Order: sequence, then structure tokens, then C-alpha cells
Amino acid sequence: MDTLTLTIGAILFSATSLIYATIGEILTERSGILNLGLEGLMMMGALSGFAVCYHTHSLFLSVIVALIVGALMSSIHAFLTITMKASQVVSGLSLTIFGVGLANFLGERLGPESNSFQLTGLEAPRFEQIAIPFLHEIPIIGPVFHQDLLTYIVYLLIPLSWFFVYKTKYGLELQAVGENPRTAEAMGINVIRLRYIYTIVGGMLVSLGGSHLTLSYMSGWNENKTDGRGWIVIALVIFAMWDPKKAILGALLFGGISALQLSLQAGGITFIPASFLDMLPYLATVLVLICLTIWEIVSKRKFGAPASLGVNFMREEK
Amino acid sequence: MMQAENKKSFLKKLALCFMLAFFISTGAAFAKFKVAFIYIGPPGDLGWTYEHDRGRKQALDALGAKIETKYIENVAEGTDSARVIERYARSGFNMIIATSFGYMDGMLKVAKKYPKVYFEHCSGYKTHDNMSTYFGRMYQPRYLSGMVAGKATKTNVIGYVAAFPIPEVVRGINAFTLGVKAVNPKAVVRVVWSNTWYSPTKEKEAAVALLNQGADVISQHQDTTEPQKAARDRGVVSIGYDTDMRPFVGDSVLVSPYWNWGQYYTKTIKDAMDGTWKKHQYWGGLKEGIVALSDFSSKVPKSVQKQIMMKHQQIVDGEWDVFWGPIKDQSGKVVINAGDKMQDGAMLGMSFFVEGVIGKVK
Amino acid sequence: MRIVFEKRKSFSKKSLVIVPIVSFLISLILGTVLLLSLGVNPIETYYVMFSGAFATWIDFSDTLVKSIPLILAGTGIIVAFKMKFWNIGAEGQLIFGGIFASGAALFLPSVVPHIFVIPMAVITGMIGGALWAAIPALLKAYLKVDETLTTLMLNYVAIYFASFLYFGPWKEQGSGYRGTKEFDESAWLPILDGNLHIGIIFAVLAAILVWFLLAKTKWGFELNILGENQNNARYIGVNIPRKIVSAMFISGGLAGLAGTFEVLGVMHRLEDGLVMNYGYTAIIVAWMSQLNAIAAIFVAVLLAGLIVGGELVQMFVGLPAAVSDVLQGLILFPLLAGALFTEYKLKIIRK
Repeated sequence: MDTLTLTIGAILFSATSLIYATIGEILTERSGILNLGLEGLMMMGALSGFAVCYHTHSLFLSVIVALIVGALMSSIHAFLTITMKASQVVSGLSLTIFGVGLANFLGERLGPESNSFQLTGLEAPRFEQIAIPFLHEIPIIGPVFHQDLLTYIVYLLIPLSWFFVYKTKYGLELQAVGENPRTAEAMGINVIRLRYIYTIVGGMLVSLGGSHLTLSYMSGWNENKTDGRGWIVIALVIFAMWDPKKAILGALLFGGISALQLSLQAGGITFIPASFLDMLPYLATVLVLICLTIWEIVSKRKFGAPASLGVNFMREEK
Repeated sequence: MMQAENKKSFLKKLALCFMLAFFISTGAAFAKFKVAFIYIGPPGDLGWTYEHDRGRKQALDALGAKIETKYIENVAEGTDSARVIERYARSGFNMIIATSFGYMDGMLKVAKKYPKVYFEHCSGYKTHDNMSTYFGRMYQPRYLSGMVAGKATKTNVIGYVAAFPIPEVVRGINAFTLGVKAVNPKAVVRVVWSNTWYSPTKEKEAAVALLNQGADVISQHQDTTEPQKAARDRGVVSIGYDTDMRPFVGDSVLVSPYWNWGQYYTKTIKDAMDGTWKKHQYWGGLKEGIVALSDFSSKVPKSVQKQIMMKHQQIVDGEWDVFWGPIKDQSGKVVINAGDKMQDGAMLGMSFFVEGVIGKVK
Repeated sequence: MRIVFEKRKSFSKKSLVIVPIVSFLISLILGTVLLLSLGVNPIETYYVMFSGAFATWIDFSDTLVKSIPLILAGTGIIVAFKMKFWNIGAEGQLIFGGIFASGAALFLPSVVPHIFVIPMAVITGMIGGALWAAIPALLKAYLKVDETLTTLMLNYVAIYFASFLYFGPWKEQGSGYRGTKEFDESAWLPILDGNLHIGIIFAVLAAILVWFLLAKTKWGFELNILGENQNNARYIGVNIPRKIVSAMFISGGLAGLAGTFEVLGVMHRLEDGLVMNYGYTAIIVAWMSQLNAIAAIFVAVLLAGLIVGGELVQMFVGLPAAVSDVLQGLILFPLLAGALFTEYKLKIIRK
């Protein structure tokens, strides 16, 4: 297999966790809640998924637990920001600190006694790569059809979530809640309930994305496994302009440039200092966003964050 | 008025005396030799810090109840480390051991302020009356591992995931490549800089990039097992580092150069306790046992194993060493002539690549 | 029967004091449960944590040193957040300030009389931070590009640029050190005592000045209006794009000053260790002080104490780093939840 095809396969594989998390956070932010606790959520998803998989050898159970953990963690954020009206920014940041710490902490406690209770250095079942006959051998795009189950599911999730947000009654309610919660409330939509739901569902998807890292992309647990991915997701959500179908673009761009710079080095092209190559994905994201923003202005379409993003909602007293 | 004040100040002095007596007595009762370790990563990294911690535990086993150890992990290099080191010095610790190059200046500053405390710095070069340095000639087993890699490769492309272009890493790459070329002149070593000591994802992705370029052996200078795992997932072999990686990755790890800090730690702590500690700059090698080559995986043919062990013996006996000439750099220019030996100083500041390395020392 | 939150008529000053105390007690309880489950003595742990950060002057000065960048960056973020400009880029602005100041510190001593080195380096550093903040400011002000993303992305660019410098052109030759060479002593900030440099005085001064700027000047008044309602601001004649840029110059300049002081006063070189996530912790400082620069001073000192304390818990109680993080989270959550009560009253309505 040639280098290009292999690289494309690697990029796709790496993007899966990002796409899950991006779609999850898009849903949360669409309801008006900003959740900066993504790094903590992904870490806990990665940790819980791996811990369960190691002890039960059941991938199915591991995914379920990762989803539950994501729901629990994001419900803390939901409670603090929706009911207790705390600052969404600080609550999210605190969730990150807490989640990362808790994941690292549990990583040293949930292992078997034979390994001093550490989870590091252990192996567990992983999602296998499933090759779709014939299709996976197509040059260049073949790797699209040679991924693991979670990646195939995310392929479906993208159009499904897009359809949900833009073409269903529920999606329209979601948009209303995020754009103008007062009006939505007046129309009979239970803003608080919907915000809870989407924060928790979003958190579950983020956690699932994190679990992909330890159940498929890599095997095993290390401290700080997710290594900053959660922060990138925050950028990818904005990059996707809160549109689920665009979630994949940012993930591919980001993953693509990261892989590109490593490939260049491996290929012996070294005149660009590694630090500059490392910068590329971030610079590219900014540049593309500038272009997209200009294009949106010129074509006069709506862009930007849901109007009530980050603003706490206070139910009026009747 | 005066009477009350006198009484108050008397009571204060009495309390102070009691406290003093209490602390002195507790201090005297628990006069263990206290050693603090400063780690750059977590002991769970199964790499660099894992080995230092293993050494610490060995020292604890050997010296038992006479010593007490504490450690702090994930300490950032630079000034934060100075603060941490000073805290330990201030709190009555007798010896502080810092396990990463970047702690050097910070430790030196503190060493000057606390002449009664012993300081040990790993992989550095600055010393003081009460501060020593220690390191292992990792390049020796690296050379041997290079020989294994050179014999194992079929595509003649070997991938090397490296953290930062600092002399220690460059030296390792060079030693490795010299070993590769010694058994397989046609092979090349491709280097990718990950710009991090510890990042599972980055290390894995760097390895994958190398694999995608056709590498069929992966080696590394990092702190986790991810590059080796990435190789294994591709059905490709690898060379370990820091610790014997076979228990964590499997038989695809052909061999691993690793560290043996325990014996050094035990000795230096004991010397300090006995009062025989003198300032030193220790750089031990295969002969002293501070670095070693792990057992071979079953995938390495016995003939190759024999060849490696013969070279191993040569180094231990002092008959030959890695950086003895002739050595050419990437451009083909001879940098060490045949018959010449590179001196320690030059090795510590190495900043060029030898012939056979594809990559840049930036 | 329902539980309802009713907005208080006036900001309750009493609750400002009670709430943190109650929240703190709750977090102590949560933390104690955690520590007990680990088989660790919670009293010993908390004692180490708090005495180590605050008890003696030497300990406290360590905390103060760590609080300086938090005060400065936090104050800078307050300026931005007041106009609802979500500057998540304080980290990058801090680093750029450090880069510019390092550049000055490396090249000036051989060119200008030594007495000028520090003032010039400090100004240069502030300019560095301001320039880095100007980029996302201009993009938002004139092109409406979302600032959360641009500021966040530029953080990474700043980190890698610094890395490029101290691995490349500014590298200390022949050394494996991840940093530049140590600055000439003329570029070292004077020390007050121990490790505490004069930066603390300027940090406090800066916070007071910013408070004054925001609370008592026309410029600050306009900024507040801009944050509350863009239309109102336009109505009273505020040139919005220019306001955004000038406010971000200040915000970035302050963050840049934080980086400058770290580099000139603590590290005496540009190194890897500058990247300490101060920029993100400062966001917490800014919010928890309710965007009041003077309160930010105290919040910063408390948070710095928390960080230092967490370190000590590792060093002396032997708990792993992860536990400190968890304890920090346990302290922050109740505080966050409690903040509600300063603005709202709990009422139970019977039907």
C-alpha cells in the first residue's frame, strides 16, 4: 500500500474520536450551554472504557459504561450551570481539571493487584478493523472502508445528527432554545429540560470519543492519554459553525496537517523546522475560519454562535 | 499592666520551649536519612521515570529502615523545579535527586544555598561541592540494539521516533545508526522529532508516519511504549528503550536498552550516610552495569544474539567503544579519524548526525 | 410546592462572605471523604497544604511569586471579559510577552546602559503581548471572526513559536537545555526577599489601576456598556471596533507583562517552563473575582496557594499528582455552586 493511502487511513482513524466529541459539543452548544470540560470528559471516557474492557473483556459493556460516565460528568456541569446558574466558563474549566485528575487517579487504582493496581502497561480487547469487501481496495479512498466499528458508526452519525438538527421538530426546538430561550419558553418549550438533555447527551458523545482512543485507536492506558484533544474539539465546533455535517471537515483538516508534518519529517523533508510544522494545524484552522466568515458575510447567511451561548437562563417568576 | 505583659511573654517563651523540645525530640527519634526524588513524568510511564522509581525502590529495599524516600512527579523543568527542590532542602531532607537534564540550573542555585544537603543531578554537567552528576553510557547498549535492528530489517528503512534534538538524544541516534551500519551498510535510519518526552498520541502518530514511509523496524527515544505498540499493530518489529518493553508490548520488541539506577542510588545514598560522599561526575556504562541490554526476544536468531554478545563483551572489556573512529557525518566528511577516540566532552555536546541518518538536527 | 430562585433586589454583601466560607466547608468535607477512602490522614494533608502555602513568610512568598502572573493575566482577562470579548488567549499573549522580553534581555545589555535594560525589556514584553492580542481583536472588530477560536488557536502557535526560538536561533549552544542562555544580570528583576521579585508590587498596582480604569473613567464606562448591550454603546457614540482593539491591547499587554515578569524575575531565561497554563488558570481568577480587578488580587493569591499546596501534598504526604487535581476540582465545584447565592435568594413557594 502506498504512503498516501496509508496516511489517509491513519488520518481517518485518528479523526473518529474528534468527530464524536465535536458533534456532541455542537449539540450542547446549540442549546446554549458552553461546556469547556471536554478534556476532562474525554479522559474519563478513555479511562472508564479501558478499565471496564480490561476487567470484563466486553467491548459492548465498555462503550455503555463510557456513555454513562460521560452522562454523569456532564450532568455535574449541567447542574452547576443550569440550576445553580454558575459561570459556564469556570464550571467547564473546573470539570476539566477534575476530570483529568480523576482519570489519572483512577488509572492508578483500578488495575489488578498484580500490577500494583495500575492500569498502565496492560492490554485489553480492541475494536477490530473491519474491511468492507472490494471497496477497501480502491486506491486512495480505500481506507474509508477499512476502519473499526465505532468509525463506521460515526460515518452514520454525521448525516443523522445533521438531519436531526435541521430537519426535525426536535432539532428546530433545539435551535430555538439556543437562539432565543425566552421566546422558546414563551412558546411552551421547556428550556431548562432541553438544556439538561443536550448537555448530557453531548457529554455522552464526547466521552464516547474519548473511549475510542483506548478501545480502538490505541490500546492501553497512560497518564494524560488524551493529551489535549478536548481543547481542539472546542475549536472544531466553532470551525464547523455549529453544523454537524461540517464536524468532519475540521477533524480531517487538523488530523491531516498533523499527519502531514510527521510524514514530511519521516520522508526526509526537513528544511522546515518541526516547530513550524507543529503550528500548521492551528494556523490553518484560523485561516480557514477567516475565509469561511468572510464568505458567510458576503453570502449573507447566518453564522456565528447560538445567540444565547454561555448566557445562563433564568426562568421568570409568574 | 506590666505584670500581665510579663506573664504573657513568659508563657509565650514557655510554649516556645515546649515546642522546641517536642520538635527536637521527634526529630532525634526519627533521624532517618531522607531522600527526595524529582521526576519529570509519572512512574506509570513505563519508561524513563518508571526506571528511576524502580531504582528508588531498590535503594529502599537495600538500605531498609535507615532511609525514607519521597518523590514528586511531573515537575516542569526550569524554575518550578528550583522551587520544589528548595522546599525539600528547607524541610530537612538530606539528599535530593533530580532525574532530568532541565533541572540542572535550578538545582545548582539551591545547592549553593544549602551546603549541608547532598544533590544529585542526572544527565547534567554542572557540579558544586555538594552537587554531583550521574548518567549512564546509554549509547553503548544503543549501538548493540542498532546491530539487532540492522539485521532484522528487510526494507532497509528503520524508523526512529525521537523527542528533542538535544545532545543526549542525538548521541543515542548516532550510536544506534553506527550499530545498524556495522551489520547492514545499506540500511538507513529515518528520524522524526515528536517535540515531546511524553505524549502517547504524538509518539504513536510519529511511528505511524515512519511506518507509512516503509520502515519495518521502529526504535525510539521517548517515554512511553506507543511507538513499539504502533509497530506491533502493523506486524512490524521494534527496539525498546528505558526498560524491557516485552512484558508490555510483546515479542515484537526484539531487545531493549535499559537503565539500572538502583545500584547507583544505593551506593550514593549509603556513601552520604557514611560520610564518605565526595563530589563526582559519574558516567558509567555496560561494564559498571548502570546501563544494560535486555534479553532478546525469541524472534532474534541465535547467531545474531551471539554476534551482539561478543560485541557487548568487547565494550565491557574496554577493547572497543562506540565512538572510536572512523566516523563520518551525514555529508560524508570524516569527523573522527580511524584510531582516534571521541572524548567525553565532545560526546556530551554532540550536535551532528552520522552517515546513514535521514533527518536534521534542528 | 416549588423551589424557586428569586433575584435579590440588591447585591448581598453579606453573602459574598458567607457563601465562600460555606462552599469551602463543603469542599473540605468532600475532600476529607476522598482522602479517608485513600487511607490518608486528611488532617495531615490539609495541614501540609495550607501551612505550606501560607504559614510562614518563606512559604507565603513562594505563593506570592506564583500569584504574580495570575494577578496580571487575570486582570487582563477581566478587561476583555467586561466587553464580552472571550479572550481565551491569555496563555499565548503571556508567552509572546515572555518572548519579546527575552529578546530584549538577550540583546540589550550589550547595546544600552544597563540601567535601561529592565524598563525597556518590560515595555517590549508588554508590546509583545499586546500585539499578539491585537490579531484576534482586529479579526473580530473588523471581520467579525469569532474570538474564542482565534485566541485559543493562537495559544498553540505561540507555544510552538517559543519552542522554535529556544531550539533554534536563540538556543544555548552546546547545551541540552530546553531554553535560551541565562540573561545577563542587568536583566534580572530586583528581588524583594528570597524568591519574591518586585513584580508583585507592579502586579498589585496594575490591578488597582485597571479597577480604576474600569470603574471610574469614561473609557471604562463605555467598555461596560459595550459589554452589556452593543446597540446602547453605539447609541452613545462608542466606536466599537476601535474600542475592541484598544481594550485588547490592554488585555494582551497585561498578559504579556505576566510573561515578562516570569521571564525576567523568576526564570531569567526563555524556557520550556514558561508554559504553565497560567493563562487558563487566570480565566478562573477573572471569573471568580466577579470581574473585579481588586478582588482578583486576593483570588489569585488563593489559587496560587492552592496550586502550591497541591504540590506540597505530593511532596510530603506522598499522594500522586492526580489527587491534587481532584482536590482542586472538589474545591472549585462548591464555590461555583455557591456563587449563585450572591445574586439569588432561595425561596420555597407553597401552592
